[in-house]
Amino acid sequence: MNKRMILLVDDEPHVIRVLRLMLEREGYEVASANDGNEALDKIGARRPDVMVSDIQMAGMDGRELCRTVRARYPDELFPIFVMTSMTASGEREWVRALANVDFLEKPLSPRQLIARLATHFANAAPQPENTHAA
Amino acid sequence: MKNNRIGLILVGSMLAVIALVVTLLLQRQQIEHAEQVRAQGLGVVRSLAALPASVLIPSKGAPGVLDSILAYRDNPDFAYAAVSAADGRSLAEVTSPGTLVPPSAALALTGFAERTIAAGQNGRAIREFHGPLASADDKTQVRIGYFEARTPFGMKDLPFYALIALAMFLLVPLIYLVIKREMAPLAALGEQLRVAANQATTHMPALVSTPESDADVRTLAHTLNRYLDQASTRIRELEQESVASMASGRLLEYGSNKMQAVLQCLPDGLLVLDPAGEVTFATGKIEPLLGVPVADVLSQPVEAWCRDPELRAMLARFRSAGLDTRSQMTIEFNPAGVPDKRLWATAQALLGHSMGYGTLVVLRDATREHLARQAGNDFVAHVAHELKSPLNVIGMYGEMLADAGEDDPAVRVEAINVIQDEVERMSSLVNNLLNVSKLEMGSMRPERHRVKLDDLLRDAYQQARSRAEGKGIRLELQVARDLAAVSVDKDLFRIALNNLLNNAIKYNQSGGSVVLAADEGDLDVVIGVRDSGIGMTPEDRERVTEKFFRVRETGTEQRGGHGLGLYLTNQIVELHHGRLTIDSELGHGSVFSIHLKKMPALVEGGQVL
Repeated sequence: MNKRMILLVDDEPHVIRVLRLMLEREGYEVASANDGNEALDKIGARRPDVMVSDIQMAGMDGRELCRTVRARYPDELFPIFVMTSMTASGEREWVRALANVDFLEKPLSPRQLIARLATHFANAAPQPENTHAA
Repeated sequence: MKNNRIGLILVGSMLAVIALVVTLLLQRQQIEHAEQVRAQGLGVVRSLAALPASVLIPSKGAPGVLDSILAYRDNPDFAYAAVSAADGRSLAEVTSPGTLVPPSAALALTGFAERTIAAGQNGRAIREFHGPLASADDKTQVRIGYFEARTPFGMKDLPFYALIALAMFLLVPLIYLVIKREMAPLAALGEQLRVAANQATTHMPALVSTPESDADVRTLAHTLNRYLDQASTRIRELEQESVASMASGRLLEYGSNKMQAVLQCLPDGLLVLDPAGEVTFATGKIEPLLGVPVADVLSQPVEAWCRDPELRAMLARFRSAGLDTRSQMTIEFNPAGVPDKRLWATAQALLGHSMGYGTLVVLRDATREHLARQAGNDFVAHVAHELKSPLNVIGMYGEMLADAGEDDPAVRVEAINVIQDEVERMSSLVNNLLNVSKLEMGSMRPERHRVKLDDLLRDAYQQARSRAEGKGIRLELQVARDLAAVSVDKDLFRIALNNLLNNAIKYNQSGGSVVLAADEGDLDVVIGVRDSGIGMTPEDRERVTEKFFRVRETGTEQRGGHGLGLYLTNQIVELHHGRLTIDSELGHGSVFSIHLKKMPALVEGGQVL
């Protein structure tokens, strides 16, 4: 039951739909949010093991969401992957101030995300449930 | 001639002055004399009147006091002295020889008085003084008479007057002579010049016949004449030059003023700096551009007024660089005084033939260009994002289809549908982009023709029906057959209609409905697209025709708008001088209505497409 939970934050329902299908196939539990505020509500209810967020969103954008999460839960440094197509180094500067935040290139390949997640959890402290529940 | 006349006038006036002086002297003497006579007469009368009658009127034969008055006979004016009774009888009298005592006058009330007795036979007027005799009760009176002065002036003063007159007589001719002598050469010269001038104008026939002795004077006169001619010519030239230079000065001033007005009217701000870096000229436009008044800038070094480091740096470079290395240079900056503006500042050395006049700085408001550039960049970024999003989704679904499609038919169907939708969305975006670009470039000119609206609407309905049915939406057409004709560009109008119908289908739920209707009013035709879809908030309704505006979707369903459809529709309707109105309620659907002017029915035979 105690699956790893992935929180997807994106204002594109198609993206959430595909990622949800793919991640669920890999045995993850998936929560989703349309924007930063909704994501914060979800995090408040339950901390995800990994958060995957878009940057450009109406309402609270991904950048602000990451800062708020890190400020609000300074001791819970669950990994955050931000999806961006912006390749300019200046656009990535802001991440350096935050711990455990990494980039995912857009257009996003669900396979790539799954591989990254697998690598991350393999390196992290082994969990007994770290097997495909499905 | 003139000199002679002056002389005569001088002599005449001198004589007049002399006569005046003499007359005044005579008058004075006469007055003096009369006073003297009066004092003497009255004195004698008074003293005689004080005497007793017996003394005054001696017995017959005996000499009386009156006789002693004869002692006054040395006074040449003495006429007579008498004592007269009230009846006029003469009681005693003494007369100068040849003089008769005239009859006595009545005594005056005031006592002592005088009277003048007009000249009688003897030819001399007499002034008589008389007064009552104090000792006599009756009206006896004492009278004493003097001849009025006959000689105008005393002989003793004559030599004196004569001397004055003589001196004047002598002085006047002397002065005249002196003046005449002083003026004689000038007069002669003037005469000579006049003669010479006359001869010059009459081809100098007189010159030939002039005696040789006048040659020197003539030469002198000629020289002088020439000199005068030259001088007057030169004066005329100078006058002309002065007028010309004044006129050219005015012209220059006018030109300069005009030039200044032209410079002031330029939309760009101008600054001229002298080689030392001080501002010598500035137009009023710099105030709205830089936020610094002209007065603060003039004759000030750049450092004193310029708060923009970019501009200062550029001007400093121009000042320090050598003449020949300075070419034109342009910078772009936001002025510190007016932060919301964007300026181009172009500096250029003002070079004359061999010298530098300083630096010309042209400040141009580039805010619009800047904003346009920014908008262009934003547009490109937006379009790129809009194209990337469906690509992203297509890529992801493709991957999912490859990985899970075989196992799960539901996933396969979903992936194919989404990919189709996204492709449609992208192609619609590209089409609309092209149309918007054409529209904004102005290259899209509506070719309006008389169009039967019901046919046009029927076509659009047919096109949209399959798409609506695919989504489980009922599409209805409510158009009367005899709808009035309108003048529209068929192709453009079809784009507008398709966009409205696509939106109505897209933002709808399965089982919903879309109605395409057309109603005819008195003046216009209203084409309405009514849907039972998700509707809009009033705020969204206000902005929905803005470029790239997208209604934020709250539901789980992704509809994939790109914010150009309604913008384009609105532009097309406006191009047709029509109006797009939107009526919507969140959750209860929307009605988009196009209001078009009816075409006049009179063009019966007109071409109907």
